[in-house]
Amino acid sequence: MILGSLKEMDEVKELVSEEVRDDTGARLGMWLFILSEILLFGGMFILYSAYRYKNPVDFHHASRELDVILGTLNTIILLTSSLSMAASVAAIQRGQRRLSMVLLMATMALGLFFLAIKGFEWGTKIEHGIYPNSPTLLARAKGEILFFGLYYVMTGLHGLHVLVGVCVLFVMLILLLKEKINPTHVTPLENSGLYWHLVDMIWIFLYPLFYLIS
Amino acid sequence: MKPEEEIRKTRYKTYALVWMILIILTGMTLSAAGMELGRWTVPIALAIAGAKSGLVLNYFMHLRSERLLIFKVIIPLVLAVFLIFILLTFSDLAFRGGVR
Repeated sequence: MILGSLKEMDEVKELVSEEVRDDTGARLGMWLFILSEILLFGGMFILYSAYRYKNPVDFHHASRELDVILGTLNTIILLTSSLSMAASVAAIQRGQRRLSMVLLMATMALGLFFLAIKGFEWGTKIEHGIYPNSPTLLARAKGEILFFGLYYVMTGLHGLHVLVGVCVLFVMLILLLKEKINPTHVTPLENSGLYWHLVDMIWIFLYPLFYLIS
Repeated sequence: MKPEEEIRKTRYKTYALVWMILIILTGMTLSAAGMELGRWTVPIALAIAGAKSGLVLNYFMHLRSERLLIFKVIIPLVLAVFLIFILLTFSDLAFRGGVR
């Protein structure tokens, strides 16, 4: 069969194309998920603000027991991981696959470094007998008990999100390796990047509210 | 199938610059915490955190280069919902006897 024009050839190509893709739809879906996550953590931030409003002095005292240096270090770590994440997406858009993979691995490493520091912080607190429902904690002022309850739940849930993020990025790394993610199909990596930046943003708020109120 | 959407490529330099500003803002938050700001402590800390989030949202998450209105509207919308939650919560809390 002789095709009459280039336009008809394009249309035939579309008909036989294998995949149905909706990059905008996928991105919109990720943004809606991000919206739900903001509501999830936001609810807890409102709880924090209510208890802090009622127990300002206790919150101030309890906050002094957190290590500001480690908290600041963790903030810098996550901010840098956001940089490497954004750069990783930019790299694959430009066809620089190796660079993209290196930047992605750097992002994952920084995420794990964050978790290591968080684990160390939790570890020292637990060693001193401060953990949810511990006798040491329960002997303290009501506001301090609330502060540490919020601390463990909010940083714990956030840490879980970081861990899940690292796993997602690992999957993206494999896809990059197999060239399933390539300059013509960047959306999965972009969307993973959106999730990672969300995790960074949540910490941007957690940091001053827990570490810097003294 | 729709025609290929033009990918707005951000320059590496822009990312590095945004990162630099984020680090500076983190330093500012830290030093603000060391100062005696009284009742302005929380608003200032939140304002700086808000500025950092704005940078992450617009540059790292590419909200600035999104063309469809829906993307630009989602975040302000959820913040508006929040504002209502907070106002309702505190209009109750501020006038109660105490939280038990």
